Amino acid sequence: MSEVVETMAPLLRRVRAYFAPVNRASHQTTLFDPAQSGGFALDSPPAPWVDLGWIAGFTRHCATKIDPIRAGAPAATQLQARSEIEATVAFAFESWGKLQLALSAGTQQMNLLKPVSGATPEGSGASAIAAAPLLTGSTASVLQVGATAAAAFTVGELVAVDVDNTGATGFVGSGVSGAYLQTALTDVDYIRRITLNVGRIASISGGALTLESPLLAGVPTAAMKLSAVAGFCDREGSSFFQEWSALFVGAGQQGERILWHYPRLQASTGIAETIAPVLGGYEKARLTAAFRALPVKDPVDGETVVCFRSYIAT
Amino acid sequence: MQNAKDTFYEVLRGRLAAINPERTIVLRGVERPGVLVEENELITTVALPECFRLRWTQAAADPNGALATIALECEIDYETAGNAFNSGMDRGRSLAAMDAELQSTVNATPQSAPKSNYTGLANGAAAVPMSTSIWWGPLVFGKTKITDDRIGRTATVVVNSFQEAGEL
Repeated sequence: MSEVVETMAPLLRRVRAYFAPVNRASHQTTLFDPAQSGGFALDSPPAPWVDLGWIAGFTRHCATKIDPIRAGAPAATQLQARSEIEATVAFAFESWGKLQLALSAGTQQMNLLKPVSGATPEGSGASAIAAAPLLTGSTASVLQVGATAAAAFTVGELVAVDVDNTGATGFVGSGVSGAYLQTALTDVDYIRRITLNVGRIASISGGALTLESPLLAGVPTAAMKLSAVAGFCDREGSSFFQEWSALFVGAGQQGERILWHYPRLQASTGIAETIAPVLGGYEKARLTAAFRALPVKDPVDGETVVCFRSYIAT
Repeated sequence: MQNAKDTFYEVLRGRLAAINPERTIVLRGVERPGVLVEENELITTVALPECFRLRWTQAAADPNGALATIALECEIDYETAGNAFNSGMDRGRSLAAMDAELQSTVNATPQSAPKSNYTGLANGAAAVPMSTSIWWGPLVFGKTKITDDRIGRTATVVVNSFQEAGEL
């Protein structure tokens, strides 16, 4: 004989993280609906959520202040009031990638564009090779550049896809704001330097570059160009605050699921890694990240919240 | 505990058969996927090579909580003499292939499965799904062992389950 059990505490081995963009200019977050999508397959999150992989050391901290309101003689607590709402979350990414690096850095994260020969050395990458314009027919996964331009790229190479910088100010970067420009810059490649619209070339054929996964910003516009990327660079002391919508999923061993949804997260610490010993005498470098949750209004009842925790039973 | 052991064996057998359908053994005149539970077979069959032999060793119970949590250690023995056509000189490669099959099987997600009661199978009845799932940790490989012309290894995995109300 057996009976349904809903009282055992969920047993979690690890937690999976997902990213969705926040439109900084319009203050538009990405809301996750656990009622509709809470049971999604972990390897294929619902759009526009992007898989960030497994994370370690997932730790939530609540610093919300609840103050007593006392009255009478002697004074006794008659009421309570929340005077501050504060929540933070910290973890370490188990994998390294453009998004993981950018989010853990918490500020603008530079793409090291492949430089022109003999360029003056710069800490975040020298003057870049001229970007290749996109031709008509490009999609989020297939970039049409023509046979001549395609010959300059190689399979496995990273590319940054975004518009030229023509003196823009404010939030810049397609799909996800990658930086905030207070004053106009003259570097035509600057937006491609900070964009999160990055992909890896899976194949090259007939003047078309096919990417391993679709670009974050979706179908590129005709104004976008692509530059080859040698790597990534972030800078301690950088001023911009990266902001993102986050979803964390802890899958229990009985099929149950805990979902933590932070509509707005911004970094609360600087750039750091944790070093942990692994087999064979090596040390593994994990991207460590800590974030402060910012509030949104829940349209259901107008409450100000910083985090939604949902439990999906089996 | 028996239901957890039976369920883990069924999961392992199904996954191994999917990964390498050609790894089979003939036991008591029946061809089946190359995995067996020693305590369920005749003593004379337990040293079969080219298959995975499950042996349940330690058991522990945590009585805290609404249901007791049971942890069972499962040793998985396997050995190979390589291919006779190669005079056994490929036995290292053959062992590596078995390592990879086992690793893919045990460490594949999900590392959990709904628990079933297989008691009725002896009487021709179907397995009965239970209310909870079993789950297991990562596979731990032991050292290589050489016995005569065979090379082998023992891997270990801990299988966990909840002891459901009324479950023996």
